[in-house]
Amino acid sequence: MGEQFFVYLSELLGKPVLDRDGRSIGRFYDFSMALNNDIYPRAKGVIVCTAGFPRRYAEVALADVLRIDGKVDLKIPIAAVTFQDVKIVSEFALRRDVLDQQVVDVENKKVVRVNDVHILRVDNQYHIAHVDVGLRALVRRLDLEPVVDLLVKFFRPDADYLKAEELVSWKNSQVLTLGNQKNVLKLDVARAKIAKIPPVLLADIMRDLDIFEQVSVFRSLTFDVQLKVFADMAPDDKAGLVGLLEDRELVQIIANIPSDEAADFLMSIPRDRVQQLMRQMESQASKRLRTLLGFRRNSAGGLMATEFLSLGLNATVADAMNKLKASVDYPGSFNTIYIIDDQGRYAGTTTIRRFINEPFDRPIVNTCHPQKVFVRTDDGMEKVAVLIEQYKYSAIPVLDENDILVGSITVDDVMEELIAMAWGKYKDQI
Amino acid sequence: MFLAILGPGIVTGSVDNDAGGITTYSVAGALYGYNLLWTLIPSFIALLVIQEMNLRMGVITGKGLADLIRENFGVKVTAFIFLGLIIADIGNTATEFAGVAGSMDIFGVSKYISVPLTAIAVWILATKGNYKIAERIFLFFSFCLLFYIISAVMAKPDWREISTALVHPHAKFSGEYLSIVLGIIGTTIAPWMQFYMQSAVIEKGITIKDYKFAFLDVVIGCTATVVVAFFIMVACAATLNKNGVVIREASDAAMALKPFAGVLASQVFAFGLFIASAFSATILPLATAFYVCEAFGFEAGIDKRVDEAPQFYWLFGSIIAVAVGIILWPNAPLITITIWTQVINAMLLPVVLLSMIYMVNSPYVMGTHVNNKFQNFIGWSTTILLIVLTGMLLLSPAVTFFRKIISW
Repeated sequence: MGEQFFVYLSELLGKPVLDRDGRSIGRFYDFSMALNNDIYPRAKGVIVCTAGFPRRYAEVALADVLRIDGKVDLKIPIAAVTFQDVKIVSEFALRRDVLDQQVVDVENKKVVRVNDVHILRVDNQYHIAHVDVGLRALVRRLDLEPVVDLLVKFFRPDADYLKAEELVSWKNSQVLTLGNQKNVLKLDVARAKIAKIPPVLLADIMRDLDIFEQVSVFRSLTFDVQLKVFADMAPDDKAGLVGLLEDRELVQIIANIPSDEAADFLMSIPRDRVQQLMRQMESQASKRLRTLLGFRRNSAGGLMATEFLSLGLNATVADAMNKLKASVDYPGSFNTIYIIDDQGRYAGTTTIRRFINEPFDRPIVNTCHPQKVFVRTDDGMEKVAVLIEQYKYSAIPVLDENDILVGSITVDDVMEELIAMAWGKYKDQI
Repeated sequence: MFLAILGPGIVTGSVDNDAGGITTYSVAGALYGYNLLWTLIPSFIALLVIQEMNLRMGVITGKGLADLIRENFGVKVTAFIFLGLIIADIGNTATEFAGVAGSMDIFGVSKYISVPLTAIAVWILATKGNYKIAERIFLFFSFCLLFYIISAVMAKPDWREISTALVHPHAKFSGEYLSIVLGIIGTTIAPWMQFYMQSAVIEKGITIKDYKFAFLDVVIGCTATVVVAFFIMVACAATLNKNGVVIREASDAAMALKPFAGVLASQVFAFGLFIASAFSATILPLATAFYVCEAFGFEAGIDKRVDEAPQFYWLFGSIIAVAVGIILWPNAPLITITIWTQVINAMLLPVVLLSMIYMVNSPYVMGTHVNNKFQNFIGWSTTILLIVLTGMLLLSPAVTFFRKIISW
C-alpha cells in the first residue's frame, strides 16, 4: 500500500518503531506538535515508548524519521535515542491533548469529544487536518470496525453510519487545555476561533465545560462579549465563574460597561465579594454604583443608567453634533440627548431625528419634545414601560425629587415588562 | 437551612442505603447474627478513603469520573469499565425493583402491578419531575432508617456479645459467607456511587477553598451509612437470628422492626423500603445512562428532548426495562438476586478502583494533590482484598469439588 494522504492517529498508536538497522526500539506512543499560530499544526517529533514494564519514553525528531507506513522507520540507530523513565513533557501532544479530550466545535457551536485525529501527510510532514467525533471512530478505536461495518451493511446498507464521516476541520475546533495548563487560548488563532461564536451560544457551550475551561474561555473574550456571555449563563455557573476570577478582572469588566448593566452584574455576585470589588474601584465609579444598587430593584432608579449625553440650555445644534462625534465610544444610548440647566435640572429631551436637519445655529432646546416626559427614581417599572409604549421614546429621563436629572432608562431595560404588556393585549385580541 | 447545605457526601451516604443495602444488611444479620459486624469497620475505612479520592479528583480537575477515565485511558478501557458498570447497574436497578416488589407484597399488591406502575412513575419523575424536590422528599424519608436504630436498641441485644464479635469474628470460609461479605462491601462501596459522588461535587461547584467542609460532609455521609448498616444488622440479629428466622422475602426482614413498631412493623418497613427503592430506581438508571453518554461523547441529560439525546434515553429506558423484566420473571428469587447484584458491585469495584488509583497518583492529573502513602495503602489493599475474595468465591465450588475428589 502506497503512502496515503490521510492517516488516523488510532492507526498509528502502538505500531512498532524500528531503528536504522531494523531493530525494534519500542512502539509509537504520540506525536509531539509544534505550538504556534499555524492553522493546521504540524508534528515536530514522534514519542516512542517501550513495550514492557516499567515504561520508558523517548522523543525522536521528525527529521530523524524515515517513513511511517504501518510501522515507523527511523534514520538513526537505537544508540542515538535517549529514553527516560517519566513521560515526555511536550507543549502539545496529539494523544495527550487532543485524543479523547473535549474540544469546542466552533462551526456547529457545541462541545464535542474527539474520538480520533485525522492527520494529513505531505512531504513527510504531518499536519492535524480534522478531529473525528463520529460513532464510527469509536468503533474503530475498539478494533470492531470490520465486524460492525459488516453488520450494518447487512441490516441497513443505506445507513448514515457508513457514509457520513463526522470530521470537524481543525480550523473549526478549539482545544481548551494543553498539558494540564488551561491557557492555550492565549494563542491568537485560538482566541479568534472562539470569538467567532455568538455570545448566546457561547454561554450554552460553557455549560458543557469544566470550571477551569470556562474561566479560560471567558478570559479570552472582549468585555462586551464577556458581559453578554455572563448574562446568559445559569446562576450556578455564574457563581462558579465569579469565584475563580480575580478581583482585578471583575473590576475591569465593571469599569467598561454601562452602569445599569454593571449594577445588574453586581447583583448576581455574592454581597461580600461586591464590597470587596467596590473598595477596589475608583471612588467616583463605586459611588455611582452604590447609588444604583441602593434603589429598589424594579424601580426606575434600579433600572437606570447613570450615563447619558447632556447639553446646557444655551447649546446649539452644532454643539449637539459635536457632542455626538466626540462620544462615538460612549457605551450608553447614543440617540438621545438631554438638556439640563446649570443646576442639573431637567429641561428637555431631544433626539438625533429631531435635530439632524436643523440649521447649526438653532438652539437645541427648540428641537426638544413638546411634552416633558420623565419618571422619578422610585417610580415602578410598569410606569416606565407604559410611558415608553405610549410615546414610543427610546429613552426616558429619570429625575430625583429635586428635578435633577440622575439617569436614563432605555427600552431594553424594560423589555420584559413591555413584552408582558404586549402579550396581555394580544391575548385579549384573539 | 440544614438541607440547603447538604453536600454530596451526605446525599451519597443516604442513597447508599437503598433496597440493596437494607436487604444485604438484613440478611447478614439474620443469617450470621453479630458475626458479620466486623466487616463494617474495614468497609468504613475503605469507603472514606475512596470517597475522599473522588472528592479530591472532582475539586482539582473539575471533571467527572467518567470524563477522567475517558481522557486518561482511552476508548478500550472505558468501554470495558462501562460495560461492567451497565451490567452491574442493571442488576442494581433490578434490586431496587425487587425492593418495590417486596415492600408492596407486604401490602398485598402483586409484583406484576407494583413493579410496572413504579417503572412508569420512575420514567415520569425522571423526565418531568423536579429533582430537587424529589431529593428533599427522599432525604426526609431516609430519616426513617433511624427507626432501625431505635428498634435495635429496644430489642435489647447483648452488647458484650456484639463487642466480642467485632473484635473476634468467627469467620467461616463457606461460599455463602464469602458472598455475603462481598455483598456487604459491594453495597457499601458501590461503583456507581463513586461516579455519582464526583458528579455531585462538580454540580455543587466545590472548589479547593471549600475542601475542608466538603471533606467533613463526606465523613458525615460515610459515618451515617455505616451506622445505619450497623443497626440494621444488629436489629436483624437480635430479632431474626435469635429466633432462627431466615429471610426469604421482604416480610421476613420486616420483623426486625417489631421491637420498635410492634404490629405495624411490616407496614413501617414496607413503606420505608418502598420510598428508598423507588427513589434509587430513579437515580440509578439515570446516572448510569448519563455517565456512559458522557464518556462516549453522546448528548445526555433530561433537559434534552428524546430526539436530541437518543442514546441517553435509550440507555435509561433499557436499563429500567431489563431490570423490570428480571424482577417480573415468575418466581424470581428476589432476595438471592439482590445479594448477588451487590456481589457483582464488589467484583467491578477493583477495576474502577485501579483506574482511580492511577489517576489520583498522577501529577499530570492532580498536580500536587496526589495520594499520600496511607491513602495508597488503603486503596491498594482494598483492591487486592476484593480480587482475592472474588477469586475465592468464584473458585469455591471448584475447590469443594477438588477436595471431594482428593478425599476419595
